[in-house]
Order: sequence, then structure tokens, then C-alpha cells
Amino acid sequence: MRAGILAVVLIYGCGDGNGPRNEAGGTIELTYWPAPNAQEVELADSLVREWNILHPGVHVVMQPIPVNQSTEEVLLAAIAGKTTPDVCSNINPIALRDYVASGGLIPLDQFPDFDSVVTQRIPRELLGLFMTPDGHYYQVPWKTNPVMMFYNLRLLRAAGVSGIPNTYAQYFALGDRVLEKLNGPEKAHIWVGERDIRPIWWQRMFDFYPFYLAASGGQPLFRNDSVAFGNSSAEEVFAFFRTCYARGYFPRTSFYQSVDPFMLEEKVTHIAGPWQVAAIRKFAPALDYSVEPLPVPDGRKGPVYTFGDFKNVAIFTTTKHPREAWAFVRFLLSARYDRLLLHLCDQIPVRGDLLTNPLFAEYFKNNPKMVRFAEQVPFTRGMDSAPDMKEIFDGISQEYEMCAVYGTKPPAQAVRDAVERARMITEWNR
Amino acid sequence: MSRRAALLAAIRRSDTNGYIFVLPYVIFFLAFVAYPLVFSFVLMFHRWNLVSPMEWVGSKNFIRLVQDPLFFKSLFNTLTFLAIHIPLQIFAALGFALLLNTRIRGRGFFRGIYFLPVVVSGVAVTILWQQLFSFDYGVLNSLLRLAGLGRVPWLIDANIAMPSIAVMATWKNVGIYIVLFLAGLQGIPRELYEAARIDGASPLRQFLYITFPMLNPTIIIIVVLSTIGGFSLFIEPYVLTGGGPMQSTLSGMLYIYNQAFYFGHMGYAATLGFVYAAVIFLVVTVQRRVIERDIAT
Repeated sequence: MRAGILAVVLIYGCGDGNGPRNEAGGTIELTYWPAPNAQEVELADSLVREWNILHPGVHVVMQPIPVNQSTEEVLLAAIAGKTTPDVCSNINPIALRDYVASGGLIPLDQFPDFDSVVTQRIPRELLGLFMTPDGHYYQVPWKTNPVMMFYNLRLLRAAGVSGIPNTYAQYFALGDRVLEKLNGPEKAHIWVGERDIRPIWWQRMFDFYPFYLAASGGQPLFRNDSVAFGNSSAEEVFAFFRTCYARGYFPRTSFYQSVDPFMLEEKVTHIAGPWQVAAIRKFAPALDYSVEPLPVPDGRKGPVYTFGDFKNVAIFTTTKHPREAWAFVRFLLSARYDRLLLHLCDQIPVRGDLLTNPLFAEYFKNNPKMVRFAEQVPFTRGMDSAPDMKEIFDGISQEYEMCAVYGTKPPAQAVRDAVERARMITEWNR
Repeated sequence: MSRRAALLAAIRRSDTNGYIFVLPYVIFFLAFVAYPLVFSFVLMFHRWNLVSPMEWVGSKNFIRLVQDPLFFKSLFNTLTFLAIHIPLQIFAALGFALLLNTRIRGRGFFRGIYFLPVVVSGVAVTILWQQLFSFDYGVLNSLLRLAGLGRVPWLIDANIAMPSIAVMATWKNVGIYIVLFLAGLQGIPRELYEAARIDGASPLRQFLYITFPMLNPTIIIIVVLSTIGGFSLFIEPYVLTGGGPMQSTLSGMLYIYNQAFYFGHMGYAATLGFVYAAVIFLVVTVQRRVIERDIAT
């Protein structure tokens, strides 16, 4: 990854920069970097065109984030080369500390209307999760993709399962029914579920981490910069996946097909975010499925939390016009553009009024499956902003492989070892 | 005259052409050996991710190293690899060298063929073996099935993956050691064999009491080179297994690479590198003491 950063530093660091340029003829110029995917570029294009018509004194130039292995690499390289834009809307909270430590971002709570603008949009409790340890906000939560459980309803009926599982025990009962009714000699194998078994750190954001949030009631992995996941919730999650592999619900291999096995009806359940709804609409419109919260340990009460891949908005310290950049951010966060975000990108804006604001009613009426994601937003959590989360998740992945996939380590020991490794990394970073 | 002035006078008196001739190597040495070494040494006491400024951390990298189970795991894996690879390498290379030292038809062709894997790109060879080792569709398992035997999880079983890699590395490197053994064999005086034959020594006794002792210097070179090469094990686990399953093929070099370029811990990676260099030095010293024999005695 860092070799990539170095390459990007060399390429972009040698240019004349994309930061705010001097006013030409009295016009302030700002640069805005959206994510480079086609839908978000289209959204950004509409946004910038309208802004430039409405604000002739502040001209915004839109440039998609230069394509690289990851946005985080590009932004770190740009911070090092002092070639950051004024505004970026693809800030991953996991890398925020690195950006702040490198002196790349300005605190947004310096603007007098920050509190009113942001709390109008999202609940204060959720906003609090994005505060950095120095007590400032360097980002505004913009969109999220809550990870939820997809169920193939036709296969459930074929297996004789009535009702969607809420708990681990109910999920295991579903698994037993699927193995009994849908599998056997002369039948194509139908898996209960499937996860990528490779110990790649970010894969755990689609199994261990959302299930941990669901099992623990949304507890973070770190508390006051100390490791906080050495608990029974983590053990229950490891034990859940261990059972899924041990009983043969999940294959001990990774599928490398070009078409998703859930859309091919080769598995009954699938863990994914709202992007899966858009993919099904496009490639398997006849699929009969439902989207539900993740199962939780037996006996757990209360709302079911999950992980959402948050992408936030930030202003960089290279800006020469912070007030104008903040005005552009406010424009980007408006309900009108959140509506467009839904329509163009099928991504969920981080808002508390998604299901009550009439602006969004038409979209949810036409896309009823997305309602479950909108309902999930208040109970969606991002990633802790601790240093070296990548390596900490690598440690969790290694233990997950040993405990859950291959069953060579008991859950309690696997959690202890993952915590020990996380502590060592955290201590080293102090 | 001060020492410095005397030195300058000596330089002035000497032939300047000599300095010009050695200049390219001096530049190469300073740029690609001395500078990286000194920089790595400095890095051991810093935290640096290539982007942010370097941060002095004192002995933190060393403290982390002694607490790091993955460092010890990678060391254990590397030693496991060496324990399989070195004996296999010596027996295979010596066996082929003995065969290729006899007067067989097409000797030059076979010598070329056995050397071929050495000159082929390591990544290309590894991808080829990936196809051979594949559990579901690999040639090796297909042959085993044809023979009515079960499939072997060459790369997906934690107990078998490292031995599989050792076999592959032996196949890749055996050619160069065959050449070394051939040179060693051809350096043994023929009179020794003639005298032994006159005394009635069997071919086995000739091998045990003449060939093997006389090859001792070659064996030392091969063991030392194999050890240093074995500690550099990287391409094979990087391409074949990524260090898995369950970290069973995480070699020292792969761990250093991961720390440096995957997690961005250049300082910690430099510390690992220096410690591995010390381990290699220690292992080679012990090997030399154990294996080295004075042929004259």
C-alpha cells in the first residue's frame, strides 16, 4: 500500500497542485473531489453545475479522486504533497486520524453554524461518534451503507422455513432445514451462507464486525483509546461463525464466480449492503428476497446495530477560502442533493428524516427494499478511528480464520489472542 | 606533518587513474549498499509510514519485536523451511551431480535442463507450481486420482503447505547446486580413486571415504548459500499462499514486506530486517562450526 502512496506522491506531488488557485478576475476557485465511480461523478457534476450558476463569485471545479488502489492512499499522498483539494466527499473515518495527524484537515466546528447545520440532519448521538479525541469535528457524516442480511424467500419456502431468524439459534435451525431439505444426492448444493474465508482485513467488515456490533448493542472496539472488544459478545460472534463452518452451512472455500451465488440462488442468506439491492434489480429482477437485521445471540434485546461503510465530507487545510468551502459543503449536504444521492447512486444519506421527509417518499415508494436500510441508519455504526486499524483487523482476521473457518482455536482463546495483538499494536502507537 | 596532510600528500603522489577506475563501484556502493544500510539503521529507532514525518520512538520497535508472536511464528516457519529444504537440496543436487558426472548419453542436454529453472523468473515458476498444486484441478492431484489415491491439500493444509513450498524451492534452485557439486567432483584427484580400487574398495566405500569428505568445502558453500537463500524466502509464499493457511507459510521476508508495505511500518520492518540478519549470521556461524572439517587431517 505504502509503495502505492510513494508512487502517488511522486506523480501528484510534482504537479502544480489542485488546491485552491488564486482568484482570477475576482472569482474564488475551489476544487472538489468526489468518489470516482460513475454515479457519484454524475451527482457531483449536477451539484457543481448548479452551485456555479447560483454562486458566480465562487467557482467550483469538480475532479474525481485520482484512481488508485484506495482513496486513503491518494489523500495521504496529496496531504504529503500539499496538493489536496478544498473539499472531498469520500472521507473514510478509519483513515481520519492519519489525515488529522498529518495536518491535512480543518476542524469544521470552528464555523458558527456547524452545530445547527449538522444536527438538523442527523441525531446528536450519532454525530458524537465522529468526534476526534481532541474534541473537534473534522468530518460531517454524509452517506452510509448498512450491512444487513439478505434472505432468499423462495429457498426458505422450499426448505419449509417459516419466519426470518432473529437469533443465532433460529439461524442454526434454518441451516439444519436447508441442509436436510435442499441438499442431498442428485441435488445441486445449496449453501446456507458464504463468506470470503481469506484472512484479508477488510473482509471482517462484512462478518465479524457487523455481527459484533449487533451482539454488543453497538459497542465500539475501542474505548478511550483502549482495546474494548475482549468480551463475551466477540466470543459469541466467533462461536456463531465457527458453528456455521463446522456444521457445513458455509463452504470452507471462497467463490470466485463472476455472478454472485446469491443471485444464482446457490445460497439462502447473504450479508451485504444496499449496493446488493441495485445489483439484484439489474441482474436478477425476479429474485424473491427480503432484507433483514442481522441475527443476534439468543436472548439479546433492543435495537440491532450493524456496521455501515460511512463516507464523509471534509475540508482540507490547503484551502485558502474556508468560509466559501464550508458554504459549498452546506450545499452538498442539502436535502435536495440527498434525494439525488438516493436516485442516482442508491446510497443512503446519513439523515434522521429519511422516512418522514416528503422529499424522499417517492424514492422509497419505488424502492421498498431500501426502506429497511433507511430504518437501519440510526443503528448503524462506523469504524473506530484508532491508529493502525488495518493491522488490528488483520489480527482479528487471522484469529477468525483459525477459530471460525478451521476450528483449531476455541472462541475465548481466539478473542484473547486478537485482543492481545490489538493491545500490542496500540501500545506501540502511543 | 599532521596525519591528514600526510594522507593527502600520499593521495596526490598516487596514480589518479586508479581512483577514476574505482569510482563507479564506489558510487554504486555508497548509493545502493552504504546509504540503505545506514538509513535502515536510523529507521530502527523511528516510526515512519513513508508519508508523515519520521517520529523518534527510541527502543519501541525492539520492545514490540520481543512481544510479537508473528515474528516468532515467521522465524519458526523459516527454520522449518530450512530444515526440509537444505537436506533435500543437498541430496537431490548431489544425486543428480553424480549421475551427470558419469559418461551418459546427452549429458550436456541434461545439465542444461536441470539448470533451466534457475534462470526462469521466480514468479513464473511459482505460478506454474500453483497450477500443479491446485487442490481441485491440479496436475499432481489428478495423477493421484488416476492412481486411485486421495487428493492432497498441498497448499491449503497448514501442516503440508510449507513442505510443499520447500519441494518447489528445491526444484527451482537445484540446478545451481548441481553445478557446484559437479565442479567439486571434478576437482577430486583421480589418483585417490585408483589407489582405492587397487586396495579393493567398493564404489560405496569410495563414495563414503573419498568423494564425500573431498566434497566438504562444496557442501559448506551449499549449506551456507541455501541457508541465506532460505531466509530470503519470499516469492513462493507471497504468490502461492499469501502466508496462509493460518500463517503456516508466513516467512521472515514476507512478514518484513507486510510490515513495510502493507501496514506502512518502515521502522519496525527495518528492525525485523536487522534482527533477521543477526539470526542468519548466527545460524551460518553454527553451521560452519558443525560441518567444517579440515580435509588434510
